[in-house]
Amino acid sequence: MIEHITDSPRFYEYVSWAVLLLSVFNFSQIVYLLWNKARVEKAERRKDELKRLAATAIVTSLSPAELLPLPSSEEEYAAYSESIASVLDSFEGEVADRAAGLLTIFGIGAHYRSLVRSRSWYKRCNAVDMLTVFRMDENRAFFIELFASEPSADVKYRIIRGLSLIVRGRDDLGELARMLSGLPYLAPKYTEDLFYNAIIRLKALGKEDEFGVFMRLIMRDGLVRAEIKRDCLTACYAAICEKGRPLLKEYYAAHPGEPEILAACIRSLARAGDFTLLPEALRNPDWRVKLAALKHAHLCCEDLTGEITGLLSDPNYHVRLNAAMTLARAGERGLTALRGAAASQDKFAAETAAYALEQEAAWNS
Amino acid sequence: MELLIWFAAHSTQYAVFIYFLTVNSIYTMLIIFALRDIIRHSHLATSRAARRQLSGEFYYKPVSVIVPAHNEGAVIIQSVKALLNLHYPEFEVIVVNDGSGDDTLEKLKAEFSLAPSKKPLRLQVPHEPVLGFYRSADHPNLFVVDKVNGGKADAINAGINASSYPIFCSIDADSLLEPDAILKSSKLFLEDDELIATGGIIRVLNGCTVRNGSVTDIKMPDTSLEAMQVLEYTRAFLSGRTGWNAIKSLLIISGAFGVFRKDMVIAVNGYRRTVGEDMDLVMRLHRHCKDKGIPYKILFVPDPVCWTQAPFTLGALLRQRNRWHRGMIDALLTNREMILNRKYGATSLLGVSYFFFVELLGPVIELLGYIAVPLFWFFGMLDTRFMVMIFLLAVIWGVTINISAVVLDTYNFRRYRRTSDILRLCLLGAGEFLGYRQIMLLERIRATISFRQTHWGAQVRKVIK
Repeated sequence: MIEHITDSPRFYEYVSWAVLLLSVFNFSQIVYLLWNKARVEKAERRKDELKRLAATAIVTSLSPAELLPLPSSEEEYAAYSESIASVLDSFEGEVADRAAGLLTIFGIGAHYRSLVRSRSWYKRCNAVDMLTVFRMDENRAFFIELFASEPSADVKYRIIRGLSLIVRGRDDLGELARMLSGLPYLAPKYTEDLFYNAIIRLKALGKEDEFGVFMRLIMRDGLVRAEIKRDCLTACYAAICEKGRPLLKEYYAAHPGEPEILAACIRSLARAGDFTLLPEALRNPDWRVKLAALKHAHLCCEDLTGEITGLLSDPNYHVRLNAAMTLARAGERGLTALRGAAASQDKFAAETAAYALEQEAAWNS
Repeated sequence: MELLIWFAAHSTQYAVFIYFLTVNSIYTMLIIFALRDIIRHSHLATSRAARRQLSGEFYYKPVSVIVPAHNEGAVIIQSVKALLNLHYPEFEVIVVNDGSGDDTLEKLKAEFSLAPSKKPLRLQVPHEPVLGFYRSADHPNLFVVDKVNGGKADAINAGINASSYPIFCSIDADSLLEPDAILKSSKLFLEDDELIATGGIIRVLNGCTVRNGSVTDIKMPDTSLEAMQVLEYTRAFLSGRTGWNAIKSLLIISGAFGVFRKDMVIAVNGYRRTVGEDMDLVMRLHRHCKDKGIPYKILFVPDPVCWTQAPFTLGALLRQRNRWHRGMIDALLTNREMILNRKYGATSLLGVSYFFFVELLGPVIELLGYIAVPLFWFFGMLDTRFMVMIFLLAVIWGVTINISAVVLDTYNFRRYRRTSDILRLCLLGAGEFLGYRQIMLLERIRATISFRQTHWGAQVRKVIK
């Protein structure tokens, strides 16, 4: 075979060409590398200067647009966007309004809205992320429309996040839930974060009760996944949503077979100071529900000591350990129970009790 | 007899020629895949910068950082201090003193006010007995497990049992994580339930300036031996792993810095005691998920950075490479079911096949080439012109692959900013073929012969200044 190749009159010609082309390619790569280094460093300096200029103008001048050059390149748009985003993140009131005004005057919002039509999904992701940072109300309808036409799930998840920051009421929340249900479930933290954003936004608008209405609407809606309901409840806990509180017990009663929903209800209720479901939750066969209850059991009542002491021998490590820690925080009755357990024949109970007593001593010292 | 010699000569020529074409074509393909992946990643990294501003205080998952340490007295304090300075809302650092014969444990006790703790540990994955469990009085998130020596894999298993959080990150004691490395890698777990393991890029610490546990000035090392390793790491991570990542066939997450979902690692019974525990774990994770039909992802991400000390003497470097090669052979043999098995899809047909035919059998063929080609030429069985041209093509092609890796790195990450450093990396791309590659090849052959040995070899550390 090799003879077939090497005997060919063009073989050495091809190899010579390959060597020559690769050499030229290598040389070009090195030249490009050095040219690109100089270019990027120059662009970075320009970007830093523009960012500084923009931030100063927004904070110190009543009409910053007059002090700043119009953006013309992608770097300049990026520099202004980053400055404006950081001002919007740190300021409220007049300064934030001036920063938001620049988005319209300089056409920055329109620029990124045009970029979401790009053919590369990652460029569309980037544009959506930038629009999300701006939190412009006018993007609400744009995001909803874009979601319908967007083919990439990666971009769709970002659109939903963008929308979560500018929701106006229960209809938008419903829209969020529908959008989420139409996509593969991503991760609990992602969904929780969306509803956390939404609650914070509704609180700022004085419409927190809209979230309660939304929760009631989806409670028995079979089209909305249990995971999404659970994440809504967790978001209630994270964002301290008082309006969702009356519904938590209804959710608890309506989803007896969904331990994660039950655990989320327990956590959110306990955070709001309602411990009425804890005794029942401590008897739940699922370790997640017991664990959620144990995390707050020391806050409510000492008469649960017997139940909690029993959990020191639970087959689940997390339940055992948290039962011991709860008893250590539950006052003298809890400590007495722990001391008894530390001397018990049950190796697991004895070990966890000894550890909890050691921790309790460390806190006191 | 003559026929036999003729047959042997021709077979060798074919094998060497096909090996040369295959290896270089694979590397070229990987560079192309990596280029696409890295450009995409650099765009999304910008998005992530924007998204960071949006992330609420609850948008994280707590992480356990596990640091196996065996005779690491020279570097352990600096490393732990660097870890305690990580930018992350909730994490714990678990140092596992793996039967050190030096003062590793004493130094830790003195520096961080360690006190014995009675916390009961779960035995979820097997390891050697634990001698003591300590908690720092100064840093409530610092724990030390003291155990009987059992090797790195065994130490990480002990760390897994002592850990409290659902995600763990294992790093080497002589490595430094960039402050946002955990943030960047663990965020991926928040947005993808299918992700079970991820690893960041390992960069060479030699030559850099470190202040308070952070790398403050990035510079190429002075000696060519260390500088050559910078080039190797750049190529291996930015073209190799990124390329494999793009075709969903990533088989290695470096033991120096990997982030894993704990439940999945427990499901495969933790790390196995071998010198190549990192590759072995990833292969077993692939197998487990494919066997059970679990949807999963194992990803390499190029922006979380872990800085590690590369060997600074030839002896230490050869020992390291010998160990890596033995580890790879062991992982491949243990998971031989994955070789050319359609059940394991692209991971088997592309990733495992590459490691078996190119990384495992390749050194033998390459050595055969180095011996046979001059012999054939000497006996007139090989045309001089052919030999020179093919040698030239092999070297130039190799240099192209090296320089392309440098371009990928410099274009996207710009870690080495001095022009002299960049040009030196390009020059080393050519210099690799003038002895360095051949020395490494011989060590890999030695490792192939002695693959049953399980020793790690003594490691020498420099104090991080």
